[in-house]
Amino acid sequence: MNRNLARRGRAAAVALAAGALVLTACSDGGGGGGGGEKGGTEEAEQQGLVQFAGAEESQGPAEDVEGAKPGGTIRVFQRDSYAHLDPAQIYVSDEGSLASLIHRRLTTVKMDNDGEYSVVGDLATDSGERSDDGRTWTYTLKDGIKFEDGSPITSKDIRHTFERQFADFITEGPSYVQSWLAGKTEYRDLLPGGPYKGDHLPDSVLETPDDKTVVFHFKKPQNDLPYALGMPGYGVVPAGSKDTRQKYDKDPLATGPYKIESFKSGKSMTLVRNTEWDPETDPARHQYPDKFEITFNHQNDDSSKRLLSDTGENQFATSFNNAVDAGTIPQVMGDAEAEKRTISGYQTYVAAFAINMDRIKDHDVRLAIAHALPIKSILAPYGGAAGGELAGGLISPLLPGYEKGYDPFGKLKKPGGDPEKAKQLLEKAGKVGMKLSFPFRNATEEQQGSVAIADALEKAGFDVQRKELPADTYYDLIGKVDNKYDLYRSNWGHDWVSSSTVIPPQFDGRRIEDGGNNYSHVKDDRINSEIDRISAIADPEKAAPEWFELNKYIVEEVTPMVPAYYYKHMQISGSKIGGMVYNNDLSGIDPTKLYVKQ
Amino acid sequence: MLRFLVRRSLGAVVILLIISALTFFLFYSIPRDPALLACGKNCSPEALEVVRRNMGIDKPVPVQYWEYMVGVFAGRDFAVGPCPAPCLGYSFVDNTPVWKTILDRFPTTVSLAAGAAVVFLTVGLGAGMLAAARRGTLVDKVFSAGSLVVSSLQIYFIGPLAIALFVYQLGWLSQPEYVNLTEDPAGWFAGLLLPWFVLSMIFTANYTRMARSTMIEQLQEDHVRTARAKGMSRPFVFFRYAWRGSLIPIVTIFGVDMGSLFGGAMITEFTFTLPGLGRLAVQSVLNTDLPMLMGVMLFAATAIILCNVLVDAAYAFIDPRVRLS
Repeated sequence: MNRNLARRGRAAAVALAAGALVLTACSDGGGGGGGGEKGGTEEAEQQGLVQFAGAEESQGPAEDVEGAKPGGTIRVFQRDSYAHLDPAQIYVSDEGSLASLIHRRLTTVKMDNDGEYSVVGDLATDSGERSDDGRTWTYTLKDGIKFEDGSPITSKDIRHTFERQFADFITEGPSYVQSWLAGKTEYRDLLPGGPYKGDHLPDSVLETPDDKTVVFHFKKPQNDLPYALGMPGYGVVPAGSKDTRQKYDKDPLATGPYKIESFKSGKSMTLVRNTEWDPETDPARHQYPDKFEITFNHQNDDSSKRLLSDTGENQFATSFNNAVDAGTIPQVMGDAEAEKRTISGYQTYVAAFAINMDRIKDHDVRLAIAHALPIKSILAPYGGAAGGELAGGLISPLLPGYEKGYDPFGKLKKPGGDPEKAKQLLEKAGKVGMKLSFPFRNATEEQQGSVAIADALEKAGFDVQRKELPADTYYDLIGKVDNKYDLYRSNWGHDWVSSSTVIPPQFDGRRIEDGGNNYSHVKDDRINSEIDRISAIADPEKAAPEWFELNKYIVEEVTPMVPAYYYKHMQISGSKIGGMVYNNDLSGIDPTKLYVKQ
Repeated sequence: MLRFLVRRSLGAVVILLIISALTFFLFYSIPRDPALLACGKNCSPEALEVVRRNMGIDKPVPVQYWEYMVGVFAGRDFAVGPCPAPCLGYSFVDNTPVWKTILDRFPTTVSLAAGAAVVFLTVGLGAGMLAAARRGTLVDKVFSAGSLVVSSLQIYFIGPLAIALFVYQLGWLSQPEYVNLTEDPAGWFAGLLLPWFVLSMIFTANYTRMARSTMIEQLQEDHVRTARAKGMSRPFVFFRYAWRGSLIPIVTIFGVDMGSLFGGAMITEFTFTLPGLGRLAVQSVLNTDLPMLMGVMLFAATAIILCNVLVDAAYAFIDPRVRLS
């Protein structure tokens, strides 16, 4: 989105709102889901916890994909070129999908043939040994793991991988582990400039007692570490002269089943087999096709039409990230043969509308907005049911603790809005006829939705002032604390399968600042104290329902945001492509399971 | 001739300097911050400053412009490596050298423009001359009306229709794509055939109308009538005198058209997913990628100016009465 627009995280939302995936929470996983040639995840399957796996589940090889045979070339149509190949700079979903083929990290999210997800050891023998209440985590590296040049991966490389995250030129990847190691958000002064001047993190922070062992020491318990280490942004980079710093972004050493044979930025990329990759060490990946030939600049409508046509070489093609565009969805759904070649599932994002609580202080007015919003009309331009599912809460169906059917405002029954109820609330507040400043992006889908929104709010008694904003600066404008807007769309996606990456960033009242993510400017003592309490719960299984309860309190009792829908994604491939499975962790097709039908 | 070329070259440098300054300073008047694009999901003010410093946009705009222009003539050093002259910098988005990217995209654009030019010159001039020669007949009326209809169509309309019909439905043509000419000449030809015809349709219509009107004008000239009166055959007079005389306005427009096409046929490249300069220009605007935008602008401007100089020089060869001074 999106690597086109405003701040990267915001760009994601911009692009998503425009109907295209740009950024995902790269290491998120979802319980269940996926599986099977036909694909198509079921809601019930996607709920549940992603468990931390032990040594046995972390062993390779990955179980075979039914019917898969090695050989052949798969063509891949992508919209955006890859801006970054250095794993430390990777955060967006399209690069995350690529990373699943070329970069390995300490842990990864594995989806088995039954569609069950778990966090397994990738380079490490397991998902990590926790001690000292989660302040210390120990990892042991597997035997036989190598870079593409044949050099073995040692703990020295792992140390270097994390130390270089502190270098000034690393700015676009995740920052969780660095912040946890430093014990604060502004982490760079822990190792200024990174390891390139000979300095290293002290053993009290990161310890590598031998070639196989890596020990992380945190100031506070970090119970989500195995999730975070599975993010593509923590892929291993070699120590020494092979780390070419900024240049590494163009020519990295692969550790996964494929390596880069050629890359012409903005045009094409060819991936070939990495002969140094040992399947015996990898529990999550396969190496079926001989090659992936990727070309860029294919908009969703272009790739959809090519793949739907299933002509010539399009039979052997797919896209890692492009969705079937809203205009082509009816054709696909009306063609039984084509529909068989699709997969779909949830994306990490929840579309919602923030209410500026600095300007709208009366809870009844916020409730009136919640009841009035026509979420069905908001979703319609994105393809209706194929583009999303109407939402009752702020927690994605992919997250543990999600309660299906949660609908505090009765919007699932009245998706067109309830103007009578809204009007009653507005009358109760004595605010009938109040002006409501409503900005929206100048993207087609939002322009369409904005008309329906304004109409519904007018019926409820608001005097709506629509303001069209440039898509690429939208999040900058609404991100200002003193913005003059009342109601604005803001989407959010989790970084891994925990609501700890959803609630605190958006609703912690201590994080209100220009450019921050608390768009509604909510400041609520109970929310803040609950965030602290639940964050300290070590067991993710126990924390999950607590987060959902806090979500209920936020939506019902404070109402700083009105949920609209959960993003969904449909993809299509050519008829000669096998192994099509939707992977929640990648928010799309799983490239590691693809094969060419012989 | 030499004086002419020197004078035009100096003029071109001045124009390029003006374009570069306008582009550079206009870029910074846009309320967008390229650093925000490259600052990760949870960008902090500290991280944003680091990104600005890495990009070199933490300095005053005039200083940035000066350093940029110095780089163009003398080269510069960047953290990702040295950038020899003509250094157009590194892309903000993917850190690739701008000059290298432009050179990589140029063959696509040249292939598209040159192929289309062959089609629209051949068909357009041929149809126009035929219509002029048969003025007032059914042929003239069909060509004139047809060119009016075709010139009213748009590439973004007929392009997808042509793909749907000839590629997906009938399967007569290959999926449009650019393949390197030296690697696979047949693939190059097959991949560009549809874009050539679609792009040339608009131009063909224009050149048909232009060739017809200039030919009719020439056929009414005194020297043409004199030649006929002297007993020269109609075809000889047509090609020896009238056709040659009609070329000046056509060459002038052709020079401008080719300059624009070498700068990038944006809509065609988007319609057919061709990685040319036009597409690169649009992407650089969308990405707030100043170095790439500057590079493409300067390159396109140079192409247009160069084509115009060539056209001026060509006048002397087409019409001996024209003297370059």
